[in-house]
Amino acid sequence: MTVVHYLNQFFAGLGGEEAADHEPIRLEGPRGPGNALVAAGLQIDLTVACGDDRFALDEADSLATLLAWIEEAGADVVVCGPSFGSGRYGYACGVLARELGRTGTPVVAAMTPDSPGVLASEGAAYIVPTTANVAGMRDAVPAVASIASRLAAGTPVGSAEEEGYLPRGLRVNARSEALGAERAVGLILAKLAGDVRTEIAPPTDRVAPPDPLADPASAVFALVTEAGCVPQGNPDRLPTRHANVWLRYPIGDRAELAPEDYLSVHAGFDTTEANRDPDRLVPLDAARALVQAGRIGRIHDEFFTTTGVDTPVAVSTRMGQEIGAEIRNAGVDAVILTGT
Amino acid sequence: MSHTRADLEIAAFAIDEVVEGALTGRDGTTLLVASPQLAVGAGEPALAEATVEVVRPGDRVRITNVLDAVVPDVRADDPASSFPGVLGGTWNEPSDPRIHRLTGVAVLPVCDWEASGHVTADEFPPSYVDMAGPGQDRSPWGSTANVVLRCVAARGAPVAEADAAIRHAALELARALASTTLDATPTDVRRVGLPDTSDPGLPAVCAILQVASEGPLTDTFFDGADLRELMPKVIDPVWLSAGRLTNGAYDWPGVRNTTANYQDLALVRALQRAHGETLRFAGLILAPGYLDTAEAKRRGAEASAALAAELGAAGAICTTFSSGNSHTDTMLTVRALESRGIATTALVCETNGGLTDHVAEADCLVSTGNEDELVPAWTPERIVGGGNGDAGRAVAMVHYLGSCVETGDGAWTAVPA
Amino acid sequence: MGIPTVFITALPTIAQMVGANRIVRGVAITHPTGDPSLAAGDELALRVRILDRAVDMLASEIAPRTVWEIDG
Repeated sequence: MTVVHYLNQFFAGLGGEEAADHEPIRLEGPRGPGNALVAAGLQIDLTVACGDDRFALDEADSLATLLAWIEEAGADVVVCGPSFGSGRYGYACGVLARELGRTGTPVVAAMTPDSPGVLASEGAAYIVPTTANVAGMRDAVPAVASIASRLAAGTPVGSAEEEGYLPRGLRVNARSEALGAERAVGLILAKLAGDVRTEIAPPTDRVAPPDPLADPASAVFALVTEAGCVPQGNPDRLPTRHANVWLRYPIGDRAELAPEDYLSVHAGFDTTEANRDPDRLVPLDAARALVQAGRIGRIHDEFFTTTGVDTPVAVSTRMGQEIGAEIRNAGVDAVILTGT
Repeated sequence: MSHTRADLEIAAFAIDEVVEGALTGRDGTTLLVASPQLAVGAGEPALAEATVEVVRPGDRVRITNVLDAVVPDVRADDPASSFPGVLGGTWNEPSDPRIHRLTGVAVLPVCDWEASGHVTADEFPPSYVDMAGPGQDRSPWGSTANVVLRCVAARGAPVAEADAAIRHAALELARALASTTLDATPTDVRRVGLPDTSDPGLPAVCAILQVASEGPLTDTFFDGADLRELMPKVIDPVWLSAGRLTNGAYDWPGVRNTTANYQDLALVRALQRAHGETLRFAGLILAPGYLDTAEAKRRGAEASAALAAELGAAGAICTTFSSGNSHTDTMLTVRALESRGIATTALVCETNGGLTDHVAEADCLVSTGNEDELVPAWTPERIVGGGNGDAGRAVAMVHYLGSCVETGDGAWTAVPA
Repeated sequence: MGIPTVFITALPTIAQMVGANRIVRGVAITHPTGDPSLAAGDELALRVRILDRAVDMLASEIAPRTVWEIDG
């Protein structure tokens, strides 16, 4: 049996954020956490790695390269990660899993249940849930090794509940004891008695697109960001990750967000270029130009900021609702939101 | 508005063995079928060939190009009025209608429309019934003895004529088989039809049966006439048992309704059983799906809801016909009902991509299964009905006749994994 | 009634997955509304172009979870 392991630049030992643009690379045997997997009983024949940013921005080519290498190796199972709470790494694991699923190659991954990789995988992977940070490695490794070994050997793997992996969002057919018609009568009677039950849960939270602006030239726009843009010195101590607060700062008469006045404290990307010109994150100078040109009415006099790193969906939702309420109360007509 | 007319009596005769022999008849629970003598399709210029073959559960046979399933029924009080319209008779408000019905056996018309040049390659999705193997239990007709009516349409015959000839032959065969019981005394009898009065304290629940009629090979028929102009209307559930509603739609076999479904609609049976106990069965509405425009869909949904309100329904159960935009008709109907304060439950099938359509008011759904799920590959010993039958290849659930039917006649459902 | 919001990000696929409706593909993860390889004047012009596109999107009817490129 042949096992291939996918890692990002950091876990493959290629470097940190500065190596996030690393091209796909093939490495013999296990690397980084792969060694822990071997110690847990899973052989690893080949490691393939790619920088998180490279995958995100050059997805088609990176994916094609990785898939070709995995096919050439004749993988019986592929392990992706663990990616823990990383958004980009998780996403890459998820997309790779999805594509491998289409070729019938079993995949095991490990990430937080909130990771974008879960949705991206479209049910193709057995995903072991982990903590957001690397301290969860000790628990994740044996679970991943166990499932992956059995998949490679063709031994059956139990249900999500039995094995502890995340439900894959699949809907599998099963025989009910009652005909659909009988179940329908049961459900309508229950509903009429006030007990609403369903066999199909509604699709996950979606908001219909709000109506478009009728007249941008008279509208008020607010700038919001998750890029962690704050005044120099981070006076209110916006966390660099796991933020569960958002902050607001007056814009006043500023023509731009100057580097001597602002910086980004976001721990999820290389902030070097952004710190040379924070308008690269919160485009105030360009917004001023549009006001000057009569294209937009005016800019709301505060910008809203948080750090979108390892932020649970529930927290993001709450912050969005709170910022939204402030914006509505302030009579803002539209929002320009920037993300990294 | 009373929806109940005369009661219809249905006498069921169980068949547990079908043998081919020199004559057509019945001996206890054994049905004898004289295939060559049945002269099916005789004198039909639009049919080049029509033959009968018996296939049994356990046979390593995949039946292909299956168009429909028909329960052998005959009007014992007036055999000429069986399957009104299609077989020439009429339903003329009989005072004492009685049906003799065979259980355990079905008529399956099969026809390869592509071989006769009536449809282009891949225009029609495959339609299978497996009599053994991993797919056997995906179709209810994997467990019935099937009298397969193999038809070959005459090349160049107009498709509507060839289809009418096949439907005529299939229903006539169904009647002929059921007619083997005409001299028998029924022992297993039930009545269809409701007492007009029942406990007014029980909630009134109506059913909305969605059908579609979009042209030859995708039609539904009432008294033999297509329903292309159908607008929602209240119908008598007795009419379904009497064979007035028949199927002529042959695509996506897993999710659209067969004639057999209409003859013995589980939803009507369930509501009638519950009538007077836990609910009042307020009535049955026949409604069109696949309406062409958003406006037409909205009007159709409103019309169904208005009828449900006229019936005095507190609750409604909505069925769906097939996949795709008919699900929008269902969802809009749910919304229209709920906006009138009528609680709804709807039956829909699922796909690998989730629900085809959804509205916030659809908070109470029955899943009739995932039509995309792959059934493991099987290589039958024999294929009846033509084509290669995808032998040795995994087959999606939707290709098995009746697998995910959204009238609630099946027991398949989808669960999380 | 919601407030129209346009999300400028270099990861539009993730934005679609979480349900953002108006999405403009940004330049890069590390500088969604900038390009350090350009001279200052050109970079500002690019930024104005990005924002103009964003304003266009805010003023347009769109299907749910739509992504626009900077130059459409």
